[in-house]
Amino acid sequence: MHASASHTRAPETVETLFFLPSWPPQIGTLTIAALTLLVALIAGEVVQRVLKLPRLIGWVLAGVVLGPSVTGLLDAGAIVDLRFVLHVAAGLVLFEFGQRIDLGWLYRNPWLAGASVLEASLAFIAVFTLLILLGVPSVVAAFAAAIGMATSPATVLTLTRDLRASGQVTQRIELLTALDCAYAFITIGMLLAWFHAEYHGDWLLMAAHPIYLILGSTLLALFFAGLARPLLTRLDAWGDIQRLCAFALVLIAVAAGEWLNLSSALVLLGFGASLRALDDRRRFVSLDFGPLGQIFLVLLFALSAAALDLSIAVAGAVTGLGLVAARYVGKYAGVLLTSRASGLSTRKGSLVALGLMPMSAVALVFVHETVAVFPALGQALLGVLVPALVVLEMAGPLLARFAIVRAGESTVPA
Amino acid sequence: MGVELELQLFNTRDCDLTPVASDLLDLIERQPHEGDVKPEITQSMLEVSTKIHHRHDTLVAELRAVRDTVVASADRLNVLVSGGGAHPFQHWSERRIFDKPRFHHVSALYGYLAKQFTVFGQHIHIGCENGDDALYLLHAMSRYVPHFIALAASSPYLQGVDTAFDSSRYNAILAFPLSGRAPFMLRWDAFVDYFEGMRKLGVVESIKDLYWDIRPKPEFGTVEVRVCDTPLTVETAASLAIYAQVLARHLLSERRPLTEEIYLPYGYNRFHACRFGLDGELIDPVTGTRRPIAEDIARTLEALSEHAQALEAHDALEPIRRMIEGAGNDAFWMRSTYHASRSLPDLVFRQSQRWRGRH
Repeated sequence: MHASASHTRAPETVETLFFLPSWPPQIGTLTIAALTLLVALIAGEVVQRVLKLPRLIGWVLAGVVLGPSVTGLLDAGAIVDLRFVLHVAAGLVLFEFGQRIDLGWLYRNPWLAGASVLEASLAFIAVFTLLILLGVPSVVAAFAAAIGMATSPATVLTLTRDLRASGQVTQRIELLTALDCAYAFITIGMLLAWFHAEYHGDWLLMAAHPIYLILGSTLLALFFAGLARPLLTRLDAWGDIQRLCAFALVLIAVAAGEWLNLSSALVLLGFGASLRALDDRRRFVSLDFGPLGQIFLVLLFALSAAALDLSIAVAGAVTGLGLVAARYVGKYAGVLLTSRASGLSTRKGSLVALGLMPMSAVALVFVHETVAVFPALGQALLGVLVPALVVLEMAGPLLARFAIVRAGESTVPA
Repeated sequence: MGVELELQLFNTRDCDLTPVASDLLDLIERQPHEGDVKPEITQSMLEVSTKIHHRHDTLVAELRAVRDTVVASADRLNVLVSGGGAHPFQHWSERRIFDKPRFHHVSALYGYLAKQFTVFGQHIHIGCENGDDALYLLHAMSRYVPHFIALAASSPYLQGVDTAFDSSRYNAILAFPLSGRAPFMLRWDAFVDYFEGMRKLGVVESIKDLYWDIRPKPEFGTVEVRVCDTPLTVETAASLAIYAQVLARHLLSERRPLTEEIYLPYGYNRFHACRFGLDGELIDPVTGTRRPIAEDIARTLEALSEHAQALEAHDALEPIRRMIEGAGNDAFWMRSTYHASRSLPDLVFRQSQRWRGRH
């Protein structure tokens, strides 16, 4: 929590030396964000240049060091104050990610759709079964398995951009990651309703809910894409104004998704994907948010890492590693069983599976926010997932980078 | 006669070249297919070649079949395929060399040239009875090199800019030490001596190291015309091959005496063809007359009509007639397409649609 008063100085001194700064300094939310950004950026460069590791690992480490577990500059209060940054950042990432998705590919290669469904459901089943065997309550296990289905879009986006990666393995990692996110958020939406007992055992309601989520999110996404297309077309292509307008539209779409009780993640993924689909003249092919987007991306990694409580990680290390292994087995089996049929060699199929390893800390933060009204559930969920996330925040990017480089799809000299 | 086409492979997202050749080849090799599909120097390039053909209809049928095979496999990998002599906005520094010893050797030797060599050409092979015929044909054809350059030109854009050339690809090839025209010699044993001399000096290892505009290919018993950009459709590619076939028949049957003088305006004519396409100027080395390339092609077609009849190739030459009568070459189509949308990725996408046969 913020220090609220300057209690270290005797009152009379303050009155006479009024021009001196107060002590300890009052650090506002914006300043905390700026400090986090600065530390993370520097850490990222050090990690990349000295250790030859992906930059985003530096951003994560900066978050951990600034977070409550180490120095505490980013305490729980500051993280809550900066929640909006996470939401905006996630929105930007998913929008940009959506632009990389070509759903027509699923039609041209139906085996890929099979791969996607299989790998996501096997990952869910593997994680769920393991947790049940470990005696975790089924509600907690289901939430954890749903979050486990998702691959971190932010990590995949950052890595593929940094490596300027292009090729089959990269494209498939991107497609599967986007679909995984969609499945995860639909499942989480349903689990939440289930947990709130809002279905009242009503099967019709239970079937209607995902339809509302999917259809509503798609329609809202199309609405925004339809709005954005003529606007962005009129603005100078590649220009900053076009970029900034897109930024504003993403923010508004995030808010609209929340207001309509839809999944903002689905809305933004869909917004990006349909904007691309509607762009019949390929004017927005490289629409990204430049340095502005970079600010949010860095903060996303740092803030979500800061939110991870390291003491939980140590306590649940064994469960965490088990969860990571189960999730990998599920994804690996799903991708590999379908890789030949979908037109990819087994070797490259296993690289795709590695590329799906990065897990989303942001997803946990969001779910935790929503279930915070039930402290017991929230605590149990953190206990199960934080250890796995701590492992994968470090190992995930490394594995994914290995996969892309090994597939020969990085254009950046090693 | 046979045809080789180098094709571009790019992604559907931003239409930039993508290193997918080995995955695509894996997939194509798994199924029975027509034609021969091979890797080329970079991972974003694929080479297809036909069997030996004598007629236009079988040639175009095979080209269509192999095109359909490649496109169907590419669809499954979410990859687009197209013709065109160069990718309009790729950056050569990002190309990856295909993993094959010869390609790595070429890459190590030529450095950035090898990657800048990410250009895409059509090679036309014309069978010859013997080496002397081949050399005669090679040199007699040289007068017509501007025709082939101008008709096939499809690389007006390079590295994101309009080069003002109709075929910018050709300039990339000229940077190589063994490019340009073949030295003038008409007897095969003289050529063998020349080649052996070059080999002893260690300048070349095989015929493949000679990047000449037209070169003999003794393994196939052919003369290989290498100046064409890969056209945007297989139909144009087939017509160009037939044009070469008919022209070869004409040249070999007339067999006018040749001297090295025919090469006096060669560089000038070639430059004009690359720069101005069908509107370029061609100086006849024998008569000294100057006329637009399109007009020179029209006259040549007239002179060839008897041989075209004999080879049943009259219809096959129709696309060429249309081009010189105002439809323009592929570079012209690319410029007008780009001006409609002002988006190079869009142009590349439309090239891929054109390649599929959706015009």
